[in-house]
Amino acid sequence: MGMLDNRVAIVTGAGRGIGAEISKLFAAQGAKVIVNDLGGSVDGSGAAAAPADEVVAYIKDTGGEAQANYSSVADYNAAEGIIQQALDEYGRLDILVNVAGILRDRMVFNMTEEEWDAVVDVHMKGTFNTTKYASIYWRTEREGHYRLINFTSGSGLFGAPGQPNYAAAKLGIVGFTYSCANALGRYGVTSNAIGPGAATRMTDTVPDERRSGVVTESTDADPRMSPANVAVPIVYMASEASDWLNGQVIGAMGYDISLYTQYAVQRQLSGTERWDVERAAEEIERVFKPAVTGERRVG
Amino acid sequence: MGMLDNRVAVVTGAGRGIGAEISKLFAAEGAKVVVNDLGGSVDGSGAASAPADEVVAFINDTGGQAVANYSSVADYDAAEGIIQQAIDTFGDLDILVNTAGILRDRMVFNMTEAEWDAVLDVHLKGTFNTTKYASIHWRTERKGHYRLINFSSVSGIFGAPGQPNYAAAKMGVVGFTYSCANALGRYGATANAISPGASTRMTDTVPEERRREGSVQSEEEDPQRSPANVAVPLVYMASEQSDWLTGQIVGASGYDLQLFNKPAVIRQMRGTERWSPEGAAAQFEQVFKPAVEGGGFFG
Repeated sequence: MGMLDNRVAIVTGAGRGIGAEISKLFAAQGAKVIVNDLGGSVDGSGAAAAPADEVVAYIKDTGGEAQANYSSVADYNAAEGIIQQALDEYGRLDILVNVAGILRDRMVFNMTEEEWDAVVDVHMKGTFNTTKYASIYWRTEREGHYRLINFTSGSGLFGAPGQPNYAAAKLGIVGFTYSCANALGRYGVTSNAIGPGAATRMTDTVPDERRSGVVTESTDADPRMSPANVAVPIVYMASEASDWLNGQVIGAMGYDISLYTQYAVQRQLSGTERWDVERAAEEIERVFKPAVTGERRVG
Repeated sequence: MGMLDNRVAVVTGAGRGIGAEISKLFAAEGAKVVVNDLGGSVDGSGAASAPADEVVAFINDTGGQAVANYSSVADYDAAEGIIQQAIDTFGDLDILVNTAGILRDRMVFNMTEAEWDAVLDVHLKGTFNTTKYASIHWRTERKGHYRLINFSSVSGIFGAPGQPNYAAAKMGVVGFTYSCANALGRYGATANAISPGASTRMTDTVPEERRREGSVQSEEEDPQRSPANVAVPLVYMASEQSDWLTGQIVGASGYDLQLFNKPAVIRQMRGTERWSPEGAAAQFEQVFKPAVEGGGFFG
């Protein structure tokens, strides 16, 4: 008896790292899995079938069901094919996990147009592409317990200085996830985002001075940093039991699983007419400045 | 004596709506302003010089200093020209306000690739493009009190269901802003985001059923909904006094000025080894569910 018996999942970027661990754990919990991976390098170049094939072989060898898909999620038309493969092979789609991503780290003043475009394309447009076609299916079937699970990052939540493209893409995914949570709930879909912390080939490319300390502490030998830890909470999130969880950011880092705040107004100056410019300045300093300069973790 | 005497500002999307009001108020407070506007329609099509020209004429007629620029911020090379025009014309650049934006509203299951791309290009890439070239100048000069002010939206912060592209782009802008706040502080630049609420031609396109409480209510006669209200707090944010304010989202809606919270962990399950899927599931329901269902995010 698994927590995901009879459920069908697509996991993108599933050939390595966190995506591979999610696929294996989902299969061990009874899900049938489409293992999508372009098989490219961390910077998005190249392609290979082996990474997805190896994960599929592992799942089958251990008694699970899985199929490989080698499309790029950044290709709008190919994304439809990823969703269609789940429907053709397994007859349904319950869970979409958008893990696929690349890195092109550079400070904003040195970043090229190409570095910006490549990262935004794979993370943001890739997440939109697969979600669009999954949501068409979910809206048609309306059976409920559908799950959209997107990947964000501490890089976006806190603003990694050396990753302006990745930070933008990853918090953009949170905005997209919130929109989907509000749009798709009526069709039985929940939408949540994961902020992972683990040592993978993606974090191995981050120079030490750019590490935020929250997300990317690379200690290969440390079992706390295994990407397998990140997969654990996603099983519950993907299960039929989590209908109540929607529009949230969940952190999965080491052995800790976290729930993040949603955005809310924490200080407000209410006026009865247009603020005078000088008055507004005084009030912003009086009311907002203590909250910002004494910034604390909420809760 | 204005709050922005001797300061030079670039305002994008400044031909109409909020951007025009910011430009006029900045000029009235003593700033020299590059008024950038492509002069396109709300959906991004077309181009015209009249909107930027009219704002420049108003500023020059009322004793201020301004020049027009007609480039698209989505054009990476043209963005360099916008920044260069400020430096060539006024000898410096202190303030960059990225207001330019378009809308292509559609539910996620109906959204086309072109609708996604167009909105991401203008809002997110456009914000990167101008910021990149401004940050090169700021990093070289290091004079201090530099201001990057980007436009976010409640559409992203709360997830407007009919605007998956805009919600993604607007939260992407926040992630980018956080990254810039952390990257550019050492060069004397602060980076903040604005969440505006006002009646403009952009909100006029939003169908009634998609309006969210507190975001877009079209009351053209209601002075609370005037875009001129949004411009007021930006004067302080753009002034030399606001060095302490960086990496924040400031709301300006009607006569209310708001400070939003930042992402933070509100509940955490700490483990000493990898959680079992069943153990994590039980913890989700015990620890996270009451927080989500109670909505009690502020302690």
